[in-house]
Amino acid sequence: MANVRKRITTKLLTVASTLFGISIFVFVVLRVVPGDTISSSFGIETSALSPEKIASLKQYFGIDKPLIMQYVTWLKGFVTGNFGLSYHTGVPVTSLTLHSFPVTLELAILATIFGVIVGTLLGIYSASQPGGRRDFVGQIFGLLALAIPSFVLSTAIIAVFANRLHYFPNGFEYSPPWVNLWMNLQQMMFPAVVLGIAVAAPVMRTARSSFIDIQDRDFIRTAIGKGVSPRRVRYVHVLRNSLNPIITMTGIQFGYLLGGAVIVEQIFALPGMGRQILDGITKREYATVQSTVLIVAITFVLINLLTDYIYQKVDPRIQ
Amino acid sequence: MFTLSKKGPKAIAVTIVAALGMTGAISLGVASSASAAQTLNIGISADMDKLDPHTSTNFATVRILGLVYSELVESTTDLKIVPGLAKSWYWNADSTQLKMYIRPGVKFHDGTPFTAVDAKASLERIQNPANGAASRGNLGLVTSITASGSQLTINFSASNAPFLAALDGVNMAMLSKKDIDAGLIGKKVNGTGPYKFTSWSPGTSVKLATNTSYFKTAPSVAGLNFQIIPAESSILSALNAGTIDFSYIGNPAIAKQVTSSLVMQKVPSLSYHVLQLNARKAPFDNVNVRLAIACAIDRQAVVDSAALGEGSPTGPFTMPAYRSSLSARPCATGNVTQAKKYLALAGYPNGLSIDVMTEGGEYALATPIALSVQSQLAKAGIKMNIQALDAATYIPKWLAGDFGAAVANNGGKVDPDTMYTRYFTSTGNLNKVAGYSSATLDALFLKGKSTGSATRRSAVYASITKELETQAVWVWLFAPYDYYVSSKSLSGFTPNPNGSLLELRNVKLS
Repeated sequence: MANVRKRITTKLLTVASTLFGISIFVFVVLRVVPGDTISSSFGIETSALSPEKIASLKQYFGIDKPLIMQYVTWLKGFVTGNFGLSYHTGVPVTSLTLHSFPVTLELAILATIFGVIVGTLLGIYSASQPGGRRDFVGQIFGLLALAIPSFVLSTAIIAVFANRLHYFPNGFEYSPPWVNLWMNLQQMMFPAVVLGIAVAAPVMRTARSSFIDIQDRDFIRTAIGKGVSPRRVRYVHVLRNSLNPIITMTGIQFGYLLGGAVIVEQIFALPGMGRQILDGITKREYATVQSTVLIVAITFVLINLLTDYIYQKVDPRIQ
Repeated sequence: MFTLSKKGPKAIAVTIVAALGMTGAISLGVASSASAAQTLNIGISADMDKLDPHTSTNFATVRILGLVYSELVESTTDLKIVPGLAKSWYWNADSTQLKMYIRPGVKFHDGTPFTAVDAKASLERIQNPANGAASRGNLGLVTSITASGSQLTINFSASNAPFLAALDGVNMAMLSKKDIDAGLIGKKVNGTGPYKFTSWSPGTSVKLATNTSYFKTAPSVAGLNFQIIPAESSILSALNAGTIDFSYIGNPAIAKQVTSSLVMQKVPSLSYHVLQLNARKAPFDNVNVRLAIACAIDRQAVVDSAALGEGSPTGPFTMPAYRSSLSARPCATGNVTQAKKYLALAGYPNGLSIDVMTEGGEYALATPIALSVQSQLAKAGIKMNIQALDAATYIPKWLAGDFGAAVANNGGKVDPDTMYTRYFTSTGNLNKVAGYSSATLDALFLKGKSTGSATRRSAVYASITKELETQAVWVWLFAPYDYYVSSKSLSGFTPNPNGSLLELRNVKLS
């Protein structure tokens, strides 16, 4: 019991120090690059501002205080649920995030579901004939899915569906699922497929290796020798014992999707977290970028914890 | 080793394809049924950035708020100044006093009447340095403003003939005095324009409804829905799919892909692409270095390579009335031999290396232009290092004059005085950016401001052009086109070279 408590404490300390490090890193990087909220806000007219006006704007934007004070003020607010204000829009970052986070989360979940199903099935397909025709087909898919950039695939999909078939649901205003679920699913379909293919490739490779490894084990041969049906061997004995590496890969890919879907969100006009961060950087909205990045980081950490939990459920030997 | 049954892979493939196909097939029906509304759907690549019309310089904000607010005057699509909220005006003999008469019966969107008192309060808000208004410089010569009945009187410290043109544009919008006094500007949107502000969902959409009490003919569409689609290629796809009805495109590579199923209107823009040289920094403080660079660049070749032929080489002034003859400029079509001679005169017979900053992001042509210029300068022995920066890094450096050379896309104005006084006069608020001023230019700009006659003004600005080009202050490259693309069901839109979308007040959807 003491051992478990120690492990939990260590884990929590690691998580807290990781998040603390990320918050400092983002805070510093944003201030090292030239430009600030004022120059971004007033553009070429910044030079027309009087020193008094600049001083009052600095006070308004909260960038007149020493850096350490700015950091502490923001962190205190973040911990209490006040993520700061987006000065350009006049909207609290909390409110912006409440709109953007579900978009990215939904996209990541749909892409992961698609990627895991396709990747695992193709992995099984490849592993059923290592070095043979099926393996070749699976490997070619994996290579293509890894090699084709998401913006190329997105553009190709749009070229076919929008320009040829005149179907482009993302040209309509974004619709949250609680407003119009059917329109929402249509708007999510293409970006989820694009990102899902990128997830499917590493999952396929992981599943294939894991399957090849497991299917040669003694207990599988024993099961086959005892007359267990090939389907049962494949989907109960092999799949279950191959799941851990697939879960690991899925967790990592899901984490990447949360922060790495910027390009796909741009092309398919989805107002998600990636765009929120990008807009925040462009406009030097410190609170927006810091808070959004930290939320992504927290979600990433939570996904990792969830992955650990799933390990234990799938394989009780892991404690 | 076990093997999959023959049915296994086929079943997997069929399941995936069927799932995708079914979703797509059902979706087609839903999508096509959603485009019957009378609201005009417009795709825009960048979001608004604020709600204060006096302080915004963002293209999207200026265009959208330009439909919500009105000004005392308007510029027509052939760039003539006509009455807006002022129905008429009179100058005194020496152009030091302007009397304007406010159009009667105009109401703000909240129902309160627009009066000369509101006009006075709006101009004074722009004049107040504490407000950081983008066009404060336009009121530099204003000494007093009075409002009496429907009459607005503006007095100037010197002749100010170009002032009427300076009153155009959303940065000179007329606001409600009540809102100004209550500190509501930037929070409450209350204009007199053809459309009323309804909502703004940052990153998603901006919605406007028709103002049925508009002081000119009220729009016939129910409203405008601006949808933010960051990639221009996706905007074109949405137009092709019929999910939006109208958009404007800045990238000629995208405009070239517009097919005959859509309507595209192409207009020469007042903006211009330029290689800015900072004459206050070495080696650009040497006029022969600047002339060498100007001579090494064939502007038409830049247009052909960077903008796919979409644009026309220009001098400093892009408005038709003041465009200069390009054949009069030094090395009109590019001359490498002459460029090398200038380099030798400057003390660089073996060439030199220069740094040029460019802005990435929304300025799609920055990198192609920089690469084109780089290859041409190389022929003259000038090695150009490109420093690609993001907009938020580029702008502060640009404002501070913290660069040797920069590729820029600068906005144009209807009047040459408002376009360049702020850059090239020694007291101009952007003179640090221009990197050059002279007593000659100061005197010429002052003369242009006090000259009422169109012919004499043309002569003054021709002299300014000559001074700017013989000194190779900057290397003006070309004026691009603006592209307005719409579905065939839309009619009545006439583009304005100043980039305004005000003519969306006249569109009809069939």
